[in-house]
Amino acid sequence: MSVIETNALTKTYNGKGGISDVTLSVGEGIIYGFLGPNGSGKSTFVRTLLGLLQPTSGEGYILGEPIGTTKSREQVGYLPELFRYPDWLTGRQLLESHAELCKIPVRQRKKRIEEVVELVGMTGRENGRISGFSKGMSQRIGLACAILNDPKVVFLDEPTSALDPIGRKDVRDLMVYLRDQGKTVFLNSHLLYEVESVCDHVSIVHQGDMVAQGPWRELMVTEAKVEVVTDQPITVPMPAFVTEYQHKNERDRTRMIFQLENESDIPNIIHYLSSHQTPIYEVKPITPHLEDVFLYWVNQKKENMYVDNQ
Amino acid sequence: MWTISKLTFKEMISKKIFLITIIMTFVFLALYGTAIYFAAKESANAAGAIQGTEAILMQKFFASQLLGVGLYFSSFITALLAILSSVSAISGEVASHQIDTWLMRPISRAQFVLGKFIGLVILMMVYAGSLFFGIVLLHQGIGGEWMALDFQPMQLIKAVSVFVIQPFVLIAFGILLSTRMTTLNAGIVCIILYGASFIGGFIEQLGAVIDKANLVNIGIVTSLIFPVDSMYRKMTVFLFETSDNPLSIAQGGMFTSISSPSNVMVWYAVLYGVIGVVVSIYIFKKRDV
Repeated sequence: MSVIETNALTKTYNGKGGISDVTLSVGEGIIYGFLGPNGSGKSTFVRTLLGLLQPTSGEGYILGEPIGTTKSREQVGYLPELFRYPDWLTGRQLLESHAELCKIPVRQRKKRIEEVVELVGMTGRENGRISGFSKGMSQRIGLACAILNDPKVVFLDEPTSALDPIGRKDVRDLMVYLRDQGKTVFLNSHLLYEVESVCDHVSIVHQGDMVAQGPWRELMVTEAKVEVVTDQPITVPMPAFVTEYQHKNERDRTRMIFQLENESDIPNIIHYLSSHQTPIYEVKPITPHLEDVFLYWVNQKKENMYVDNQ
Repeated sequence: MWTISKLTFKEMISKKIFLITIIMTFVFLALYGTAIYFAAKESANAAGAIQGTEAILMQKFFASQLLGVGLYFSSFITALLAILSSVSAISGEVASHQIDTWLMRPISRAQFVLGKFIGLVILMMVYAGSLFFGIVLLHQGIGGEWMALDFQPMQLIKAVSVFVIQPFVLIAFGILLSTRMTTLNAGIVCIILYGASFIGGFIEQLGAVIDKANLVNIGIVTSLIFPVDSMYRKMTVFLFETSDNPLSIAQGGMFTSISSPSNVMVWYAVLYGVIGVVVSIYIFKKRDV
């Protein structure tokens, strides 16, 4: 079942900016990364889904309900990128107000508030006024608000922007905890390592367009490279699936890097070398840098656009 | 909706401006009480030599003028507070992005606007009503026999009911502007219209005194555009019953009412406020936040 579904959802401001033609389907119980640089339209997309912005065109559904309706927001949590809460309230009063809006039964409120306060690491500090909170504490209380109603889907927009390394790890752990509870986490982030470390599925957006989407492991395989250590340079002719290779001599070893057509050619090259009596001491697939993966997909989109225009 | 109302109510009370307003209101009431005390003392001495109808006229004139001044200033303070609190009700939250986490909850935009409106209106109506009775009690109590005016309970109830329509209209209009404009722009528009309304009110009274229909009509038109001053005038009519009183011209003045707004105008003002809220909801439903 799709928790979030959009069909050519577009939100532009007088025809400019925003995000265009986003079609996606987010399943249940996963962490879905929405990755893109600042200003690529990630927040616009989430705010449109939550009914804060009116879509220019297209349609979207959250848990089967059309976006913009109160019903679509019943089982949703949200931590905005620009988190600002009434500073005249205490953390607990803020949570109580949200609990009222979410119609959490009065008898369960106290217990639930204590649970979420503990989950976000704010125990003992929730009774302080928000005006006295640091940015990190505000972000934590915002996270508590986002998960207060035990939502089925949680939108987190740059949830670690104000946190220190320990706080970031806490948030990553929280996202994993939510996923393990069967919740869907929609993570907006421009931090590649954050997306890589927790996300199952990823969409890459750039300048308002979605350039790629799919399981993160598949998107990472933008090129198939493998490093093989032998005891001498290879003299045998290279098979067709090796598109490029280079070698480097290191004392009594030779380090070779093969660029292959596909990831599935890695066993083939090993088999080929073995069949030619080449002793193999080490095999190491080369993972591309995250930045390279991102740029690869952005460039792919540009190339496709160029071909389309031709 | 009630959660938003409660939050709006609490927010107003927690703000420093409200505390300052309450303190300044007590300062104003203390000054008014002092002025009434000395005015009553001096006027009684001065009027000692005058007897008969002239003395009654003088007493009525001074007493109603002083009460009129007190109530007019009360109306002014209430209006300013109503304007300042309502013009930022929506726009302020949009600008600070505080609205995001409220509106993503399962509440409609209509509930949000209504919640804000109800919270502010209850607070300001209670404030306006308290100020009204504060002024009347000071006037009647400290002013003593010479300053006292005869009021029936029904007169006071009618007068205060119309008095509190002023913040009702102003808050509805302020919220309407707040759904569309920035706080500063909405505040400027609201204050200019309020100013036009009370100037229109003075012109209307002047027109009634010198019997110039054109001037009276200017007042009526400004009342139709912004029915705030007319509610103050109607309140004075209920309180002093000047329109049917043969002594009304002598008793009245710029702070009471010679040209009396009709009862239809009261309903018009209420409808004006209700339409203001309905239009606010309509505009806000379509707005990106």
